[in-house]
Amino acid sequence: MTYQLTSLVIGIALAATILTLVRRAHLHGPHALWWLVLAAGIILLGIWPRLTDLIAPYLGVGYPPIVAVLLGLGLMLVKMMSMDLQRSRQEQRIRRLAQRLAMLEAELATVREKPSSDLDSSTKD
Amino acid sequence: MILIPARDEAGSIVQVIIESRRQWGQVPIVVIDDGSRDGTRAAAVAAGAVLLPLPLHLGAWGAMQTGLRYAQRQGWDLAVTLDADGQHDPADIAALIAPILAGEADVVIGACPPRVSWARRLAWRYFRALSGIGLEDLTSGFRTYNRAAIDRLALPDATLLDYQDVGVLLILRHQGLRIREVPVTMRERNHGKSRVFNSWLTVVRYMLRTSVLILAGIGGNRHTSR
Repeated sequence: MTYQLTSLVIGIALAATILTLVRRAHLHGPHALWWLVLAAGIILLGIWPRLTDLIAPYLGVGYPPIVAVLLGLGLMLVKMMSMDLQRSRQEQRIRRLAQRLAMLEAELATVREKPSSDLDSSTKD
Repeated sequence: MILIPARDEAGSIVQVIIESRRQWGQVPIVVIDDGSRDGTRAAAVAAGAVLLPLPLHLGAWGAMQTGLRYAQRQGWDLAVTLDADGQHDPADIAALIAPILAGEADVVIGACPPRVSWARRLAWRYFRALSGIGLEDLTSGFRTYNRAAIDRLALPDATLLDYQDVGVLLILRHQGLRIREVPVTMRERNHGKSRVFNSWLTVVRYMLRTSVLILAGIGGNRHTSR
């Protein structure tokens, strides 16, 4: 078994997994795209490992095989950063949602306390 | 509108509500409950306060902001915030409102620096030096806000703050709002402990997080954060 084959199998398995996850609605839009691009990159490097030899001189890297490793690490850091950004945005939304829920509950309590005639007239109209 | 954020303050909340009402009978008293497990909610409602029950634990500032958003939603031009543990005397509210009514300030902080420990004083000196905020009492929860301050602090970019102190003050300052301190007397806490300074690990985390906020210049660029 050559390393090309190993890489190819990993890439295809990854792509298949992503597509399955999307189909089952476990993974959505932008995330799925990111992972598919990653799978394509793995397949590409598997089929054509000499690619790093071509790129390395332009990046000033003396040992070409390390380019793939560095690229992987770099992408991982970018991915993690974007995950934290997204988590922060979600946290903000969740907090504001909780605040809004509390405000609405207070308003609901006020409405319920009002005499029923007020409510009747407003709902009938 | 009087805003009282509370978490597990069943032992003192009723007294605070009663005293506030004695001073300011007509003004709605709003208790923002930050996930109490001790009957604070029932006590607040029984004492006649409006209850904002948070479904998640948001922390001191999260609860405070909920109150400010509610005041904004209800169209109030003035919001007073009090701690639920009874350390703030509602009789001092008049002194806190005066500079706002006179148009001399947008935010007034009821300050009482001598009550704090040496460690806290040192921490504040550090934050004052780092942020350039020239206030004595950075953490006091006894404040009044006018409409401009309420509107600014109700925005989403203030939602990710965890504490109501330096970050909030920086946002206000970046907005060009005038902050004034008025000396008040703090009473002994009836109940409960400080939320910020209760363990060394919390202190370290708090110091680091707040330093990052200052270094990042929070509040300086609200357009991108909206």
